[in-house]
Amino acid sequence: MTAETPETPVTVEPRRSRWPLAVGLFFVALLLIACGVAAVLARMGRPFIASPFNATPSVGVVGQNAAQLTRLASEAVKEIQQVEPKGTYIVVDTYRNRLRLIDNGTVIRNAICSSGTGTVLKDPRTGKEWVFDTPMGERIVQRKVRHPVWAKPDWAFIEDGYLPPKDSSERFDNETLGDYAMYIGDGYIIHGTLFQSLLGRSITHGCVRLGDADLEFVYHHVPIGTRVYLY
Amino acid sequence: MFRSALAFISISLAAGAVRAGDVAPDPSRVAALQMEAGLAKKPNIYLLLDPERRVLEVKSRGAVLDTVPLIGIEVISQQPIMGRHLPSHPPIPAIWTVAQGSFDSERTVEAPTDLKPAPKNDKDYDAGDSPDVGPAATPTPTPEAPTSYRSRLDNGWDLWVTDTLPPQTRWQTLLAAVRDGWRRLRGRGQNHIPAITLAMRDADARRIHHLLRAGMPILVTDEM
Repeated sequence: MTAETPETPVTVEPRRSRWPLAVGLFFVALLLIACGVAAVLARMGRPFIASPFNATPSVGVVGQNAAQLTRLASEAVKEIQQVEPKGTYIVVDTYRNRLRLIDNGTVIRNAICSSGTGTVLKDPRTGKEWVFDTPMGERIVQRKVRHPVWAKPDWAFIEDGYLPPKDSSERFDNETLGDYAMYIGDGYIIHGTLFQSLLGRSITHGCVRLGDADLEFVYHHVPIGTRVYLY
Repeated sequence: MFRSALAFISISLAAGAVRAGDVAPDPSRVAALQMEAGLAKKPNIYLLLDPERRVLEVKSRGAVLDTVPLIGIEVISQQPIMGRHLPSHPPIPAIWTVAQGSFDSERTVEAPTDLKPAPKNDKDYDAGDSPDVGPAATPTPTPEAPTSYRSRLDNGWDLWVTDTLPPQTRWQTLLAAVRDGWRRLRGRGQNHIPAITLAMRDADARRIHHLLRAGMPILVTDEM
């Protein structure tokens, strides 16, 4: 008789799934690869790095003693003061299309104007180009005219798709410039407009256009020789 | 008026300091005054960049015509993420001149293909044509100026006007480096020369765009 050993029940442990581990390892590996790739790419890259601009003056007038420096500075200040605008002058902001009439440091008229488009017109026959910029810098009112007549240049015809006429009498136009014109050199004029609703926009061929009331005011307050600053 | 007054005051102060005579003017200040006097002799527009006051002034004949406030002035260069070698800064005071501006290359060109004989009088106009024979409102809308653009200066630097500076936190710089590295891997990387960067509001960036054209002088000095 054999003593039967009682059968110990075999407990089969539920087999642990290895998927989560595998997935975890996969993502860790992926992350490591991504980091490695990113590190390599970052090493290759040249990002923009900013550093504050050093505003400390590092150069100057050399070899001068204190008295000479004072004299040089005084001369420079005098030179600037001599050329500074005084009395009545005009400032034209061609981006905002604003004209300011300044009298002894006080703005006496702030007007909406129109200035050049900045576009280029090409003559299909000759290839000649016109740039419709309002000039920048200082100019002088050289001539003032009531009821000005405009002698239309070639570009005025070409822009509309017409051949410039050979007979010069076909070029004259006594309406377009309005009631007053102030000539500031090289064919540029401060004048009126038939297109009042377009004031404030850059639509001209380089001249400065003003509305009727502003034009009349400026015309009567600006003597010949007045300086005009356009920017 | 305020600007004119400000300009008057600044020049008066400079003159006063010079007249006082007890303290010799700073050599760099004298150099800056001489440079401005040289620019003011000519009837052109020039710009004055004052990093100390953080302003860019539009000037002619010594008078301030307009002022643009700056959000920041930085020297921006492309650098590797490790082993940076920051560029040395250009000396000031100095006059930088725009050698090539983005404005110069962004013009709209109109070119009619063929021309017909001009009408001799109002009767010859087609129906619907305006009887006004003067300058017509241009049919081409003026393109809006950009808010971020580079101009090449004659001193070899770029002047970068922008309304948004590149992000500069460590994390953002790393991301930018990875992005740029990826572009370079595909052969699309771009090398920019170091730029003096003027950060300003978008409206201000647009309105000075037309000023930064070839030949425009920029006087860089502090506290004129």
